Amino acid sequence: MSNPVLIIGAGVAGMTAAVELADSGIKTVLVERLSTTGGNALNLYKAFPTDDCFYCFEGNRWRPGIRKCFYRSALTEQPNIDLKMNSQVEEISGLPGNFSVKLDIGPQYVDPKKCTMCGLCIEKSKAFSLVSPQCQPQAVVYDPEIEDTGTTSAAEECPTKAINLDAKSTKKIISVSDIVIATGYHEMQPVNVDEYGYGTHPNIITQLELARILDPLGETKGVLLRPSDGKPAKRVMMVQCVGSRDENYYAYCSKICCVFALKHAAILTQDHEDVEVSVVYMDIRTYDRYEKYYRDTRNAGVEYIRGRVSRIEPQDDGSLDIIVFDSLLNKYLKFSVDIFVLSSALEPSAGSSQIISSLGLKSASGFIGAINPETEVVVGNRIYACGSALGPSEVPESVTQARAVVSKILQSKE
Amino acid sequence: MLVVYLMTEMEERSGPPITLIDPIDMSKLDPTFRDEIKSMPNGEALSACFACSTCTAACPIANMWKYKPHQLIRMILLGMKEEVLSSNEIWLCLTCYECQERCPQKVRVTDIFFDCKNLAAEEGKIPPNVVALAKELLTKGQLYTVTADWEREDMGLEPEVPGLSVEAVKTILKDTRTRKIVGGDE
Ligand SMILES: Cc1cc2nc3c(=O)[nH]c(=O)nc-3n(C[C@H](O)[C@H](O)[C@H](O)COP(=O)(O)OP(=O)(O)OC[C@H]3O[C@@H](n4cnc5c(N)ncnc54)[C@H](O)[C@@H]3O)c2cc1C
Ligand code: SF4
Ligand code: SF4
Ligand code: SF4
Ligand code: SF4
Repeated sequence: MSNPVLIIGAGVAGMTAAVELADSGIKTVLVERLSTTGGNALNLYKAFPTDDCFYCFEGNRWRPGIRKCFYRSALTEQPNIDLKMNSQVEEISGLPGNFSVKLDIGPQYVDPKKCTMCGLCIEKSKAFSLVSPQCQPQAVVYDPEIEDTGTTSAAEECPTKAINLDAKSTKKIISVSDIVIATGYHEMQPVNVDEYGYGTHPNIITQLELARILDPLGETKGVLLRPSDGKPAKRVMMVQCVGSRDENYYAYCSKICCVFALKHAAILTQDHEDVEVSVVYMDIRTYDRYEKYYRDTRNAGVEYIRGRVSRIEPQDDGSLDIIVFDSLLNKYLKFSVDIFVLSSALEPSAGSSQIISSLGLKSASGFIGAINPETEVVVGNRIYACGSALGPSEVPESVTQARAVVSKILQSKE
Repeated sequence: MLVVYLMTEMEERSGPPITLIDPIDMSKLDPTFRDEIKSMPNGEALSACFACSTCTAACPIANMWKYKPHQLIRMILLGMKEEVLSSNEIWLCLTCYECQERCPQKVRVTDIFFDCKNLAAEEGKIPPNVVALAKELLTKGQLYTVTADWEREDMGLEPEVPGLSVEAVKTILKDTRTRKIVGGDE
């Protein structure tokens, strides 16, 4: 039997590649570091370009704009996919067509094939939790770090005997024919960009943190509240290009932060009442059809200020006074805001540099680089990359790249 | 000539300032100004402005202005009512429509400046030279008296200027806002 294909990372890109390869009869091993698949897209609430919702499971069909995500539900059901959760690739050696891969497979405390998510263990012990009703695999997770008295009885009383508290992590060496890198991106934590004060005040947050606040399934149930005191927030200011297009951090444009900032501005002005939004920018880059968000939000009264923030002064009442230099007006403006949102750079996810050096790949500002610009997804001999592992990308683009990888692999197998 | 470039008043500060920046306090501006202009027939596309400054590039005289056309539109959007309505620029505008023709977002820049002039006039903020012109119109029924000269002959027109009925104009103007601008019974 021929070797399977290794896919590293089960975000949108990795899942697409795995399912489409599997459906074409190719065995795949899908390795995911975390305990739920989906990657960054899990926490985004509504998604451009369709304003659909990312929560794509049956139980959520009542929510507006839901389409069943066929990829995620296929992951545990497709026999050609071997899903390894809480797992990492430790070492890769060997030759193209027959790579030898050492996997560190995390302990499987809860068997997703047995768990019915009945919730009994969660009641018994804090060590068990449900990441989200949409998590995939559909199972609770167990955190061995949290010690409490209820864990053993939870394990004993679990109606389906899904819990194994003694599970150990294992090492395994497998042979694979091709490698697909789908390790995605990470939102930079802008702690070092002093002028924006991230980390010094609870009401200074990033766009991913704002997405959690806007999400009806998040902690605030979609109500816009100030993190500092839980009071309703009425004035939101965003600042673009935080750590992107900045030689001190990342010289590249993170490409999609203008679009998701404007998506958030649209949600804030359309789904929430009396919320004022200002966006401080250097350039607004709403490429392609996304110009519509720019026009719609201007019409909705979102204030666009070309310029930069000069000072942030926290006030006693929890608000922030922010002075902005408006370069078009050539004047300084002073705003009072409740939440200040940083559109922080999208950087390569942790571990990218090891993958690049261990496989001898090209680096494109830290992301995986193509060997030939015309075949973006081919990054080595029988090594491919797709999605944000190649650089900041939107979901449709990540999916298209994953399909390009699938097509390349299928062609090479003919 | 009326020159009023008032910036919004600042709150009294105690102690020395942290920086020498003296920002415009947004809370002291008038956010309803944007809506006021938007509600006027010419203002519909106002908020579509994305500050490209095409209007300023098109304008033949903005070089002389303190606030360029794109800045005036921005000031309207920000709510700087006081500054816009007391600016000279809205009166200096030639109404040539170059800006409006070229605006990529179909903002009716020139017409919006007309609206601003009307709003300013209602608040009595009219430069004296404009008031003087209105007075001239009201009392003489015309701004320029056409005189007979050699050019008429050269162009083959009858040498005498045909009579112009300024009385009708004067009567009509008495019932218009022009009269209000000039004020009194003069
Ligand atoms: C605030 C915000 C809003 C956004 N809104 C939208 C939107 O509305 N529409 C849209 O199309 N896009 C949006 N995006 C972009 C979207 O998040 C990405 O396009 C998409 O998530 C990329 O998917 P991916 O699979 O390439 O990467 P990721 O989602 O980052 O997935 C990578 C996966 O790989 C795993 N992984 C990483 N390294 C390893 C490793 N070494 N070993 C094992 N596993 C590993 C990670 O745990 C993760 O599960 C938004 C992004 C942000 C930041
Ligand atoms: S008790 Fe068992 S079946 Fe129920 S949620 Fe916990 S692990 Fe799953
Ligand atoms: S997409 Fe926009 S915010 Fe992001 S780096 Fe590029 S210009 Fe800046
Ligand atoms: S040309 Fe139109 S869109 Fe551009 S700055 Fe002027 S009014 Fe705004
Ligand atoms: S109409 Fe006025 S503002 Fe517009 S181009 Fe002409 S002079 Fe400039």
